[in-house]
Amino acid sequence: MKVIVDESKCVGAGQCVWVAPQVFDQRESDGIVILLQPEPPEALHDFVREAVAVCPAAAIRIEE
Amino acid sequence: MNHDDLPLYPFVRTCPFHPPEALGAARPQRPVLPVRLWNGERAWVLTRQQEIRQVLADDERFSGRFGQDGFPTVTAARVTVDRNERAFVGMDNPDHDRFRRMFTQEFSVRRMLALQPRITEIAESLVDQLIEAGPPQDLIAMLAVKFPSLVMSLLFGSPYEDHEFIITCAAARHGLRQSPDEAERRARELAAYVGTLIDARMAEPRDDMLSRIIAEHVRPGHLSRDEFAEIGAMILRAGHDTTTNMIGMGALLLMRDAALRTRLIERPSDIRAAVEEFLRFVSPVQFSPRRVARVDVELAGVPIRAGEGLFISLPSANRDEAVFAAPDQIDIDRDNSRHLTFGFGIHQCLGQILARVELQVMFGVLLARLPGLQLAVPEDEVQFKHDMQIYGVHHLPVRW
Repeated sequence: MKVIVDESKCVGAGQCVWVAPQVFDQRESDGIVILLQPEPPEALHDFVREAVAVCPAAAIRIEE
Repeated sequence: MNHDDLPLYPFVRTCPFHPPEALGAARPQRPVLPVRLWNGERAWVLTRQQEIRQVLADDERFSGRFGQDGFPTVTAARVTVDRNERAFVGMDNPDHDRFRRMFTQEFSVRRMLALQPRITEIAESLVDQLIEAGPPQDLIAMLAVKFPSLVMSLLFGSPYEDHEFIITCAAARHGLRQSPDEAERRARELAAYVGTLIDARMAEPRDDMLSRIIAEHVRPGHLSRDEFAEIGAMILRAGHDTTTNMIGMGALLLMRDAALRTRLIERPSDIRAAVEEFLRFVSPVQFSPRRVARVDVELAGVPIRAGEGLFISLPSANRDEAVFAAPDQIDIDRDNSRHLTFGFGIHQCLGQILARVELQVMFGVLLARLPGLQLAVPEDEVQFKHDMQIYGVHHLPVRW
């Protein structure tokens, strides 16, 4: 799984960090998404899929 | 044009725990429902997740700018509120993102989790005071109102002793029965109040959001004092009212369900899932978000013309049978990650992580300290907020 984030779409709602903190964080300066693991291990895939589903701004996508 | 044949919106609840029946009846057959408003105008109500997600994610074809022609309202007072809104809740992009991004880091997951120990101390101390006062007590006045006020005081920097004024201003916006003059006056008063807090922190900074935003955005010239005052008023209103209502409704749901209460006392790690399910089930924001179509579009086969207004019903989206099995039941084991209680799209709630932390902490402390909490009056004496745009209970007499 490859994770791609679009900072320009991100609205900093924080839901991705809430459901998958091992994969996503937020910049200290403006709360916008930081991708910690572009290719997360399989154990985290379900959490990443949930992060994609709950992102309000469609700022996260995955390639599998 | 005469719209007398259309149903009048807002609809009225028949059961205090469920959204109005007309919404559920509309979902299968008329998911894009035409309605008539208080002023005789017509609007559409979206009742299903599919169209709601589509509209809220589509800023190109739908505008959320408050007060524009066709922007639908539930009261005359709301017209005044919308026309005078100056914070980014009422803006489209690019302005919305420019302002919102100055505030997102203040509500980041990292910051909110770092606040959790102090939020827990606040909850513990309020429950101490409740126990000290002795039963029966009103859980709304003693906990649900004070708790978010103390948290906002800690985070934002608004003095706690001003919380009654802030709540009065929030109620003047969120009510369904206030006059336009009162709504406007209270909006001005709250922005002016935040302006005085900004001036005070300009002179003497502290460790709070007011001081940080001044240092990061006001002094460098990205944000004017008056723009900050309007945004600050928005944050204070939103930070008080919604959380209070979720605490009241959540406590009531816990008191009605002994099996759930026992389970959460035995397994506090399940409180996180219970909070998400309560958020879905209660869905306190009743008549927002709203949009105006920018162009002619079709939703679920229904033609919407440019300039027509739409209400998004979040309570209805959260009971959508296509997304949630047995949606009118509380089931903390269900996958409720698709609930839309905080909205969707660019305007999704900025304070949602704070809200989640507050609710998890408060229900955790309540269950641990007062496992025998119960209603001190018959349930039919509980006054629900049918008169407000944000649903909850006015009072909740409890004993333990």
